[in-house]
Amino acid sequence: MNSALSFIVTLLSIAGLFALLGGSFLFLVQVIIYAGAVVTLILFIIMFLNIKEENLPHEPYKTRWILFMSLLISPFTAILISTVNSMHFSPLHLENFGSIKDVGMELFTQWVLPFEMISILLLIALIGVVILAKKEKGHD
Amino acid sequence: MIDIGSFFILGILLFSIGIVGIISRRNIFVMYMSVELMLNAVNLILVALSHHYEDLNGQVMAIMIIAIAAAEASIFLALFVMLFKNAHSLDANFFELLAQEKHND
Repeated sequence: MNSALSFIVTLLSIAGLFALLGGSFLFLVQVIIYAGAVVTLILFIIMFLNIKEENLPHEPYKTRWILFMSLLISPFTAILISTVNSMHFSPLHLENFGSIKDVGMELFTQWVLPFEMISILLLIALIGVVILAKKEKGHD
Repeated sequence: MIDIGSFFILGILLFSIGIVGIISRRNIFVMYMSVELMLNAVNLILVALSHHYEDLNGQVMAIMIIAIAAAEASIFLALFVMLFKNAHSLDANFFELLAQEKHND
């Protein structure tokens, strides 16, 4: 529950960074779909399932696992960060880039086929969810 | 002064946190949120690159990733409900049990 709430904060901050990088449409989509729909659904499910302490998985070595995995992952992260630091980027310039009209033109000219495939994918996900829920009902 | 490199560093850090979360936890909600965190890190890097090259393709790719993440969210939530009804726990290890019980029938 707490992690879901802090996840909302993280997503909203990422949305702010999108706006800073000139993605105004992406900012709106991030706020509406991620923070508004996905995480709210997670919170809804958490409250709907009424999870108690004994329903949570028993993780006795949680802190140890997290420390161990952080040690394991940190060299790769350090390599990537040093790679990024060795590159030279121009400082951030805030100008009129990435307006909604331009994104729409790009989406409906070069990306028409992936756009339509996304709609088919969403339809497949819908059917899959319905089948998952229905199977559960038949089992009882 | 902020430059694009700091966005990359933030994206890399978020991705690493996501990997650590998905490997070291067994709570399925935390695993799902780690996956979403990794997707968001990739989104951030894509948008930073699209700003760097002044090319809108990166932003369109990020929109596609968000749409796929929405589809993924619906399936994950259906799985949560199914898992909780069957097992009354949020342990991801229960999925192994499901596969074995099918075999015994």
